[in-house]
Amino acid sequence: MADIITVTNLKKTYGDFTAVDSINFTIHQGETFGILGPNGAGKTTTLEMMEGLKGITSGTVILDAKNVSKETREVKNVIGVQLQSSSFFDGLNLKELVETFGALYKQKVEAMELLREVQLDEKAKSSVKELSGGQKQRLSIAVALVNKPKVLFLDEPTTGLDPQARRNLWDLINQIKSRGVTIIITTHYMEEAEVLCDRIAIMDNAKIIALDTPTGLLKLADVGTTIECHTDQVAPIAELQKLTGVTQATAEPHGFSLKTQQPEMTLPALFPFAQQKGISLHDVKVHQATLEDVFLKLTGRKLRE
Amino acid sequence: MTIRTLTLASLKMFVRNKQSLFFTLFMPFIFIGIFGLVGFDKPQTIDVGIVTNAPSTSTKGFLDSLNTISALKIYNGNDADERTALQKGDRAVVLIVPDDLFPDPAAKTAPITKDVTILKNVAYEQQAQTAIVILTQLFDKTTLQIAKAPTLFALNVQDINAKKVRYIDFLLPGIVAMSIMQMAVFSVAFVFTDYKEKGILKRLLATPMKPQDFVISQVITRLLVAVTQSAVLLGFGALVFKSHIDGNPLLILLTIMLGGIMFLGLGFTISGLSKTVDAVPALANLIVFPMLFLSGIFFPTSSMPGWLQSVVVYLPLQPFAKAMRAIIGDGAGFSAIKGDLAWVAGWAIVLVFLAVITFRWEEKRM
Repeated sequence: MADIITVTNLKKTYGDFTAVDSINFTIHQGETFGILGPNGAGKTTTLEMMEGLKGITSGTVILDAKNVSKETREVKNVIGVQLQSSSFFDGLNLKELVETFGALYKQKVEAMELLREVQLDEKAKSSVKELSGGQKQRLSIAVALVNKPKVLFLDEPTTGLDPQARRNLWDLINQIKSRGVTIIITTHYMEEAEVLCDRIAIMDNAKIIALDTPTGLLKLADVGTTIECHTDQVAPIAELQKLTGVTQATAEPHGFSLKTQQPEMTLPALFPFAQQKGISLHDVKVHQATLEDVFLKLTGRKLRE
Repeated sequence: MTIRTLTLASLKMFVRNKQSLFFTLFMPFIFIGIFGLVGFDKPQTIDVGIVTNAPSTSTKGFLDSLNTISALKIYNGNDADERTALQKGDRAVVLIVPDDLFPDPAAKTAPITKDVTILKNVAYEQQAQTAIVILTQLFDKTTLQIAKAPTLFALNVQDINAKKVRYIDFLLPGIVAMSIMQMAVFSVAFVFTDYKEKGILKRLLATPMKPQDFVISQVITRLLVAVTQSAVLLGFGALVFKSHIDGNPLLILLTIMLGGIMFLGLGFTISGLSKTVDAVPALANLIVFPMLFLSGIFFPTSSMPGWLQSVVVYLPLQPFAKAMRAIIGDGAGFSAIKGDLAWVAGWAIVLVFLAVITFRWEEKRM
């Protein structure tokens, strides 16, 4: 697939502080690209430089064959932006808001159609104040779509939403993606990145520390699956270590845990082994590796601390 | 097209915002209403207390004639009550009149000098002196009548119809100037700081809109509001209080525009200095409130101490209100007010410059 965005040696400094440190990546046309990282990693700064909202200290961003720092207005014309904490004028109703934003792109918009798309057509006459958190985010996406953008930027769109509203928004994002819009999304929710993104860049301390497909990242980190068992007996660690697929067996306060690359082989081997040894197992838990584990492995820290 | 759409949108928002409507129209209406009805035009009467016990018929006749003097308000009471009233500040003077002030015409006794004691309230020195002059004149006239002295002078008073300047005529142009200040400062300071704090300005910057288009549309909106509110307030004063409105409408319009731009500059400066909406009222009132009372809106600056007068003439509102009053009240032409307009224009340049250098599209979080 063709690349729609190329970021080269992108850097942002504030005095001595480096917010974004010479990052490089490309984004393919039509993909959903995630930037994942803890607060303060530089995600929003990266996004705002790509959107032409923040000055670029050094490096370049080429978006749809336009240089963002030189052809800023042309770039703004082909992108849609949802800011992290953006609100809208309280004095206008939703329909008027969408139309006003359309006018800023010198475009006539079918406001009702756009509101229907984000399931807000019934609220067309309401003001922003009367909307719930999830509805506000959907409005924000509707406003970002007034110019039928080629690239849509979403900065932590689901932060602070309840699980129901979050899933609702994921559906909307996938629906927009299905029309061929390239989407760039920042998040600090692992699950969200796994569900939505074709590729994910993990950012930490102003740098990209990994970039791959979700599956690729899980492999890259080589964390595999963890099987946790509780037992009252002393676990024979040395023998557990020899079970099929086990890479590491560890004694835990009330049992043991096994790391494995092949849980489908290890589990069938574990039960006969336990029976044979007279070990009664309770609370067997299987943990699939998540991006959380990947992050932990890469940085030695948890994503949200 | 962008400017027109943004102007229409912000006009809609302005009209729907109850707070800005309050400052723009409701508050000036209240000021005009209250001060227009209080009636500072009626000359103040002087409170005079009279103490007698059982006055003779002719004494009583003399005292009754005092009631016909419109400048005096006469109270009758006993010695103790009137002294108390004087001490409380309810009387300017108290007269203690002997019962036989005037001898009965029937008793053909030779006239003797009678003592009338006047208790003067030193707190009301000026009023008390006026009352004493009036009373002295009255006593002298009565003495001359009784003495049957010939009248040597006759005062011939003629009525001349001059232009009557009432308090409402003084007040109204100043209130219009003040309400333009309130509207421009508060609507810009609150609304822009709110937009900035909530990230609305930043969101607008993410569109291909020219940033100056947005600011221009906001300025146009408020200048339109300033003209409309001036027309409404002047119309209200003319209709309800029969206020006298004079002057060249174009010159009034020019003055409103200059004053409007000056105070919009102040509003934008306050918004530039305020990180959050919570900071706005304190800062705005600190600047606006003294001007409200010191710029000759409610009373002429000539009634202030000299040192204060020499300071307040430099406040932005004073020359603006003065120019408005000169045009609307006296029908002054451009040359008569160009000094005041120069001050307004000078302030406008300074404040717009401050607005530009303090303006922020978003508060930096770093």
